[in-house]
Parts: sequence; C-alpha cells; structure tokens
Amino acid sequence: MKKDDNKELNKVIDIISKTCEIDKKNIKESSNLLTDLELESLDVVDLIVAFENEFNIEIQDQDIKNFQTVGDIVNYLKAHV
Amino acid sequence: MYKLFISKKLSTKDLLNKVLKKYNIKSNIIYNEFGKPFLKNNELYFSLSNSKEYSVCVISDSNIGVDIEYITYKPSILNKICTNDEKKLIHNANDFTKMWVKKESYVKYLGIGLSYGLKNVDTLKLDIIVKKYNDYYIAISM
Repeated sequence: MKKDDNKELNKVIDIISKTCEIDKKNIKESSNLLTDLELESLDVVDLIVAFENEFNIEIQDQDIKNFQTVGDIVNYLKAHV
Repeated sequence: MYKLFISKKLSTKDLLNKVLKKYNIKSNIIYNEFGKPFLKNNELYFSLSNSKEYSVCVISDSNIGVDIEYITYKPSILNKICTNDEKKLIHNANDFTKMWVKKESYVKYLGIGLSYGLKNVDTLKLDIIVKKYNDYYIAISM
C-alpha cells in the first residue's frame, strides 16, 4: 500500500471511529460496515453526511449500496474527491 | 393483514426462523439486488429490523417493510433525509425517530433500501403505521 493510501484509510477510520463511537483498532480496511462494525442504517447515513462535510462532496444515494467495506469508502473517496 | 413479532433476545435471523417454524414454512430465502429478502416459492412476505437489543419481524400476505429504532436524534442528517416541509415538523428525538422509521420502513417495502434516497420518501404523503414500543418506534409500510 502506498503512503497516500494509508493517509486516506486512516482519515476514513478516524471519521468512522468518531461518528459511530467505535474503537479505531477494531476498524480495518476489510471491515464490513454491517456485519463486522455492526452499523445500522442510521449510522450509515450519519457516516455519509460526515464524509460529505469532511471532503466537501455530495455522495449520491444510488452509490450507497456500493459501500460494503471500509475499503470501498476509501476507493470511492479517492475517485471522487 | 400483517402480524408483528418482537423479540428482546433473538437475532433477526433467529426470530424469522422461529416465525417460519410457527407457521410450518420451509421455504428458502432469496434476495433481490438490493438485499431485500423473500421466501422462495411462497406468497408470504416478510421484513426484518433490529435496533440495539430488539429484533422485529413482520409477515404479511402482501409486500411489507418494517423498521425499529431506539429513540434518538441526529439533527446533522436532517438535510440529507428530509424535505423542507418534513424538517419543520421535527423538534425533538420523538419526532426524528418517528420520521426515520417511516422512511426506512418505506424503502424496505420498496425493496431498494437507502439507494432510493430517503429524501425521496415524502412521509407527509404516505400512510405508514407507527407504533411506540418502550424506548423505540416501529414503523410498518404496506
């Protein structure tokens, strides 16, 4: 993994940890949002808004279904920010 | 016509299995592309939801969607999920949670989930059942 990839990943992990009150050490790039992090729909929307505010983007509703893992979010942000 | 089952102990999966066993239904579960579950080769519809320690299951002879949520308030997401008219009606955690479960139950009824866009669900124009259960709200769309 490149240094920039780590930076993006760490930022995403920071936001998930802060928004959803999950210990950072339990959040990995491969973590599934629903099955591993046990997020509910309300948490997911809360996260989407947190990412939108942090990265100054608008995440389209139809893209949400592609966010299965933390890595999916990192890849989406790298492509759209 | 629907029946609602609530459990404090069981996971949604275990609750569904218990309900299916009660009605002697042995169908396999299949999913649409957005993850909505259906019974294979069976005309009974069901929907599941959980929040904190509670799981709920509804079954019906027509399409149905259910959502349960612990009473909470996240004003930061109002602009993302509410129309301007809906926002005017939300003043506290009760208002927020009722609005949330209505929208969630409706997108689950549609079988599309969050991808439909919760702001596109105008709860002021929809007739959705809402019940309060302890510190939770449950909504049923059908």
